[in-house]
Amino acid sequence: MSSGALTTPPVVAPPRPWTFPASTTTSTRAGTPVHVFDRPGQYVATVRVTIALPLFAEPRELEGVATIMSRTLDEGTELHSANEFAAALERHGAAYGVDVSSDALHVEISVPVSQLAPAVKLLAEAVTRPAFNAADVGRHVTIRLGEINQERANAGYRARETFAAHLFDPSTRRSRPTAGTPDTIRRLTNAEVARFYRDNVGPARAQILFAGDATGVDVAGIVDDAFGDWTAQAGPALETPEPLYVVGDRIVLVDRPGSVQSQLLIGCPGPDRREDIWGAAAVANHVVGGTITSRVDTVLREEKGYTYGTRSSFTAARKGGTFSLGGAVRTEVTGAAITDALRILREARDGLTDKEVGESKDNLIRTAPLRYEQADSIAQQVGSNIAAGVPLDFADTYLAQIAATTAESATEAYRRYVGTNGLLVIVVGEAKEVRDQLTGLGDVTELS
Amino acid sequence: MPLTYPLVEQTLDNGLRVVVSIDRAVPIVAVNLWYDVGSRHEPPGLTGFAHLFEHLMFQGSRNVKSGEHFALLESAGASLNASTFFDRTNYFESLPSGGLDLALWLEADRMGYLLDAVNQENLDNQRDVVKEEKRQSYDNRPYGDSYERLVRLAFPQNHPYAHMTIGSMEDLDAASVEDVHAFFRKYYGPNNAVLSIVGDVDEEEAFQAAKRYFGHLPAIPQPPPAPDGTIGPLQGVARDDVVEDVPSDLVTMMFRLPVDGTPELDAAALALDVLAAGQSGRLNRRLVRDEQIAQSVSGGALPLIGGVSFGTLTGIASDGVDLQKVEDALLEEVEKLAADGITEDELATVQAQAERDWLEQLASCAGRADEISHHTLLFGDPNRINTRIDQLRAVTVEQVQQAATQWIRAEGRVQVTYRKNTDATESGNA
Repeated sequence: MSSGALTTPPVVAPPRPWTFPASTTTSTRAGTPVHVFDRPGQYVATVRVTIALPLFAEPRELEGVATIMSRTLDEGTELHSANEFAAALERHGAAYGVDVSSDALHVEISVPVSQLAPAVKLLAEAVTRPAFNAADVGRHVTIRLGEINQERANAGYRARETFAAHLFDPSTRRSRPTAGTPDTIRRLTNAEVARFYRDNVGPARAQILFAGDATGVDVAGIVDDAFGDWTAQAGPALETPEPLYVVGDRIVLVDRPGSVQSQLLIGCPGPDRREDIWGAAAVANHVVGGTITSRVDTVLREEKGYTYGTRSSFTAARKGGTFSLGGAVRTEVTGAAITDALRILREARDGLTDKEVGESKDNLIRTAPLRYEQADSIAQQVGSNIAAGVPLDFADTYLAQIAATTAESATEAYRRYVGTNGLLVIVVGEAKEVRDQLTGLGDVTELS
Repeated sequence: MPLTYPLVEQTLDNGLRVVVSIDRAVPIVAVNLWYDVGSRHEPPGLTGFAHLFEHLMFQGSRNVKSGEHFALLESAGASLNASTFFDRTNYFESLPSGGLDLALWLEADRMGYLLDAVNQENLDNQRDVVKEEKRQSYDNRPYGDSYERLVRLAFPQNHPYAHMTIGSMEDLDAASVEDVHAFFRKYYGPNNAVLSIVGDVDEEEAFQAAKRYFGHLPAIPQPPPAPDGTIGPLQGVARDDVVEDVPSDLVTMMFRLPVDGTPELDAAALALDVLAAGQSGRLNRRLVRDEQIAQSVSGGALPLIGGVSFGTLTGIASDGVDLQKVEDALLEEVEKLAADGITEDELATVQAQAERDWLEQLASCAGRADEISHHTLLFGDPNRINTRIDQLRAVTVEQVQQAATQWIRAEGRVQVTYRKNTDATESGNA
C-alpha cells in the first residue's frame, strides 16, 4: 500500500458460518430440564430459571400479584431473612434478578463460575423455599406504588402503557400493566401471594439454563444438587388465549404538563413467532424504522432534526404481536413529525427495494454472532424462546427465514399488518401546545 | 491472580498507539478508538464541542458520503456507536472479522479527513439533533438536571468538571463552522488517540491493517493538555433545593473523590459501595428494608483522571415521608463509615461484586477493547485490564476508612433536593 488514503471502501471478506450455540440437556431428579450452554472464556455464568406463568392466570382484581411474588422470592426464605439472603448471595459475587413477562417468570443469577455451586444453592432457595412474610410483601406493595408514580412521570412509559391500553381489547390481559395498578396492588396480602405461588410455581413448569465457561465444572450435578428435591405440586400452565385487538386509525393525546418534547408511539398488531413471516417482518422493520439509516430516521433525524432518534420493532409474546415506532420529537413539530411518520409507514406498503432488503438481511444475519457473544445474552434469548413456546435454537430458524426473504416477501409481510387495519398514534406531551397541531390528522381522544 | 488476556502494543510512526488482543471464541472483531478529548478539554465558550463531534463524525468524511458510515458498517453486520465523557470520546464498532479493513478504513478517513465534510448544513442539522438529545436526556425527565446542578456546586466555575458533556446550547448556537474546524484540528489526530483491535484476527495482520489505513495520516501538533483539575476534598456544604413537578421527593449528594488510577480512589469507591451497592448495602438495609423511609437508594464513584473524581449517594423518599429524614439517615451512615470503618466481610462483599462487574465488562470483545483503549490512553498501560482485580483485592479496611474519613463527609458535600410542588393551585409551566 502506498502512502495515500484509499478512496473507496475495502472489500469485506465473507463471514465465517455461524449457528446458535449448542446445548446439552439433562434433567434434575424432580424432572426439571437443565440446558447447559458451555461457552469457554465466559467467566461470569448466568443461571436462569424460566417458569411457564401465563399472566392471565392472575385474578383480575389482584393483577400484579405475579410481579410482587417475583420480587419477594428473595426477601426472606425458610432459611434466611431478607438481609441474610442478600448478604450471602452478594458475598459470592453474585447478582440476582427477576423478570415477569406475559408468559413466564424468569429468576436468574450472574456469578463468577468459581462461585457457582453456593450461588445456585441460594438461587434454588429463593425459587423453591420463599417465606412471603407479611412485612416483606407489604414493603414491596409500598415500593410498587411509589414505582407507579415514577412510571407515570416518565413520558416513554406513559406512551407504552397508553399504547397497550388502546391496542388490546380490555378483555386481554396485555391491555393492562404487567406489574399491576394501584387499585389491584393495594389489596395484595402475603396470603394471596403465597397462594399464587403454590398454584403456579413448581418443578414441572420450570426449565433451568446455564450459560458460561463450564470447563471442569459439573454444572448438571450442581443444579441437580440444588433443585433435585423440589417437590411443589403446581400443575401444568394453562394455554394463553389469543389476544383481541382494537383496530382502526386513531390518535390518543396524553397531557403531560411541562413537557418540552412529545413522546410518540405509533403502531398496530403484528405477527408472532408461529407465523413463518416472522423473519421477513424483521427485515421489513429494519428498512422502515429499525436503524438510524432507516426510512423514518433519514427524514425525521437526519433531514429535519426533529428528534434524537426513533426506532421501530415487531415484538411478540407467545401469542400475538405488535408493530410500533417510537421516539421523542420537539413539541413545536409534533404534528409535522406525525404526518411524516405516517406517510413513511404507509408508503412502505407500496414496496421495499431490493437494495434496502439486501442490506437489512446482511445486517440482521451478520450481527447474530455479536448478539449472542455473552453468556447472559444466550440465557436471555433461550429463556424467551421457552416462554414463547419455540425451540431453544429458534435463532437459527429466524436467521434461515431472513436468508430466504426477498423484497417481495418482506413487503408482503409488512403489508399483512402495518397500516392494514389502521394505525394507533399515541402522543404524550404538552396538550395545550400540541392539540391544534393534530387537527386534520384523525380522531383525537384526549387523556390527562 | 492476574487475568491472562493477551495484549500486544505497537506505536506507529505518526504516534498512533495500537493494541491487539486475540480472541478466537467467536468470529468477530471489535475496533475501538479513544481520543484524548472530552468535556474537560473544552474552554469556556466552547462547551459541548467534544460531544458535537460525536455526531459530526457520522456525517461523512473525504471519501465517505453522508450516511455511508452507518450504511457500510451495518451491511457488514456491525454494531457501532460512540460516546462522550468528561475525560475522552470513543468511537467503536464490532462486526464479523472479515470487516476489519472496512472498519479501520472508515475510522482512518474520519480521523484524517473529516473536515472535508463538515459544513454549515450538517452543523445546523446535528446541532438540532443534539438539542433534541438534551431535551430527551435532561429536560423532559424528572430529576434530569441533577448532575448539571451537582457538578456546578461541587467544582469552581470553569473547573474542567464543572460542566456536563452535553454543554451549553448557547455555546453550540454561537459556534461557527470555523470554530468547529479549529477544535477538530486541535485534538483529532493519530498521536492523540489509541486504537484497540480485539477478536478473531491474526495479530500480525491486524497491525499491518492498522498501518495500512492509519500509517499515512500526519501527526498533529501536540494538543494542549486539559486544564489541571487537581483539587482536594469539598469543604463545607452547598445546597440547591428545587421545588417542581416530580413524582417523589429525592435527595442526591455529591462528594469529591481522589483521582482515578490510585489506591485511594479504589478505596473511596469501595466505601461508597459498602453504603450503596446491591441489596446488602448499608443504605438499602436501613433506609429501604428496616426503616422503610426510602423507596430506593443508589450511589457510587465516578472515576476521573483530571486531578479529582466524584461520587454520589441518592435516596428517594417513601410516600408521605419527609425528605429530611432520608437526608439525615444518609448523613448518619456517611459519618458512621468515617468514624467506625467497615468490616472485613463487607469489604470482601464489595470486592466480590466489583470483580464480577469487571469480568462482565471484559466478557465481550467490545467491552474488552473499550477497557484496553481506556487503560492505554489514560494510564499508558493496557495490561492494567489484567491486574485490575488484584488492585481491587489489595485494598484494606484501613484504606477504606481512611478514604472515607478524608473525602466522604457530611460537612464536605454538595446536595440537590427535589420536592413536589405541594401548592394546591399548581401554576402553569409556561
